[in-house]
Amino acid sequence: MEGRLANSWRLTVNDKNFIKTALLSEIRIDGRKPFEYRKISIKFGREDGSSEVQLGQTRVMGMVTAQLVQPYRDRPKEGILSIFTEFSPMADPSFEPGRPGELAVELGRIIDRGLRESRAVDTESLCILASKFVWAIRIDLHILDNGGNLVDAANIAALAALLTFRRPECSLGGEDGQEVIVHPPEIREPLPLTVHHLPIAISFGFFSNESILVIDPTHNEEAVMGGRMTTTVNANGDICAIQKSGGEGVPQRVIMQCLQLATSKAASITKQIKDAVEVVNTERALRKVKRHPTSTGVDVREKQN
Amino acid sequence: MEVDREDGRSQNQLRPLACSRNILHRAHGSASWSQGDTKVLAAVYGPKAGTKKNENPEKACIEVIWKPKTGQIGKPEKEYEMILKRTLESVCILTVNPNTTTSIIVQVVNDDGALLPSAINAACMALVDAGIPMKHLAVAICCCVAKSGYVILDPTKLEEQQKMKAFAYLVFPNSVHSVLPEGSLRVEGEPIENGIITSVTHGIMSVDDYFYCLERGRAASVKLSDFLRRNLQQQSTDSSKAG
Repeated sequence: MEGRLANSWRLTVNDKNFIKTALLSEIRIDGRKPFEYRKISIKFGREDGSSEVQLGQTRVMGMVTAQLVQPYRDRPKEGILSIFTEFSPMADPSFEPGRPGELAVELGRIIDRGLRESRAVDTESLCILASKFVWAIRIDLHILDNGGNLVDAANIAALAALLTFRRPECSLGGEDGQEVIVHPPEIREPLPLTVHHLPIAISFGFFSNESILVIDPTHNEEAVMGGRMTTTVNANGDICAIQKSGGEGVPQRVIMQCLQLATSKAASITKQIKDAVEVVNTERALRKVKRHPTSTGVDVREKQN
Repeated sequence: MEVDREDGRSQNQLRPLACSRNILHRAHGSASWSQGDTKVLAAVYGPKAGTKKNENPEKACIEVIWKPKTGQIGKPEKEYEMILKRTLESVCILTVNPNTTTSIIVQVVNDDGALLPSAINAACMALVDAGIPMKHLAVAICCCVAKSGYVILDPTKLEEQQKMKAFAYLVFPNSVHSVLPEGSLRVEGEPIENGIITSVTHGIMSVDDYFYCLERGRAASVKLSDFLRRNLQQQSTDSSKAG
C-alpha cells in the first residue's frame, strides 16, 4: 500500500496562494502573529516519566524507562541515553508503520543532539559500577497527531518526561562489592535524574517572498514554506544545536534574528515546563504521604523522609 | 462470599470508566478509553481505497496496528492485532464499501490490567466517531478465576499477576433498544445479546467456572453498553464537528 493516492495529502494551489498572500500582511491562517507560539499544554500520566504535550493541534506522548546494562567500552563510567521516535500512523495518513522514515530519524537526531551533546542530562551519575553496570535511559516519543512543528512538541514531551522520571535506587553489595542490588520503590524512594539545563527546540519557517519568517509553523504552513530551521537553545542563552538542512538560503541577519527570538521564547517555555513539573511533583508527594495509612496524625504539609 | 480486593471493590464491580471521542484532529475518528488506570487511545482512518493482497476485494477490509507503550513490536502485539481485527470484522458491515481498507491504530498509554478489553472498547468508539457502518457495538470485559476459586471482574495488573489462576477476555454485542415490542434481532430464537463475539482465555479453568464467567461477563456488559450509549448520545448532541 505504499504511495497510494489516498495516503498522500496535498494542499490546493488556492490554499497555498492564500497562505502566502496573507503572510505578506503579517496574518497567519490560524490568527496568530508571525512570532507567536501556539498554546502549549503539558499533562502527565499516572506513572513516573510519562508525559503528553499538546502544541495547538499537535500531540506527542513521551515515555521514559530505565534498564541496567553494560556501558559502552570507550565510556565505562557513563550511562546511556537513547531516544526512539515513533511516527504513529494515527498522526497522519501518510505515516506508514514499520521502519522510521527520514522525518522520524531527523527529529530523533535533533532531540538527541540537544539533550546528549549539550550535557543536559548528567550521564555520569547514572553509573553504578564502572565498566559493569550503568543505567540506560530510554525515551520513547509517540507522535499522536500531526498539526505541524513536531520537533518542538516532541522536545518538550521528552524534557517533561525526563524531569518527572524516577529511577530505582540501587546499592552495591555481595561479597566483593561487585553485585548490584536494585531496591523496589516501596522500600526506598526512587531518585530523579540530574538535569542541568533544559534545551528547548524552536522551529522557524522561511517563505520565498520578501524573506518572511514565522515561528512554530502549522502543517498547512509547512506544506507551503521554502525552508525550515530548528534552533535548540536554553534559558541561559546557550545555543545547544542548530539544524537547517537545505531549503532556501537566508541572509545572515535573519539567522541572528531567529536566534534572538528563540532565546526569548525558550525562557517562557522553560518556565512553563518547570511549573507543570512542580505541580505534578507536589501532587505525587502528597499521594505518597497518603500511601501509609498506619501512620496516624500525619500532617500533610510536612515532608516525609 | 466477601472478597478482599486491593482497591476495595467487590467481586462484580468495574473500575471507574472514562471515555472521550474526537480527540485527534487529523484522524477521521478517534477515542480514548480508560478503565481505572488502564488507558488506551484508538484512531481510525478510512475507508481508504484498495485492499491488501490476500484480502477479499468484494468486501471492506479492516487493518489493525497495535502500538505498545515502549519497546519493539513482538508476538503478543501481533496476537492482539489479530484478535482485534477478527472481532471488529464481525461487528462492522463489510458489504457497504467493498474494496476499501479501514485502518485502526491502537496506542497503549498505560497498562494496568484488562488491556485487550479496553482496546476493543476504544476501537469501537473510534469507529463510531469515524462513521464506519456497524451492525452493533462490541462490549468487552475481562473475568478472572482466582486460585481460591472465586470469579472477579476487571482485574488490575497486580491482581492478574499474583492472584489469578486463569482469566478470560469476553466480547459481547451491546444490548439492544428496540422500537418494536419484540426486537427483530433474534438469532435462532435467542436474543442477540446472548451471543459471544470473542472469547480468549489464559490459564486453566473448569467448565463450570467458564460458564460462571460468561454469566458475570454478560451481566456486566449490560452496564457497559448503557455507559457507552449514554456517552455516545450525549456527545453527539452537544459537539458540533466542523470538518
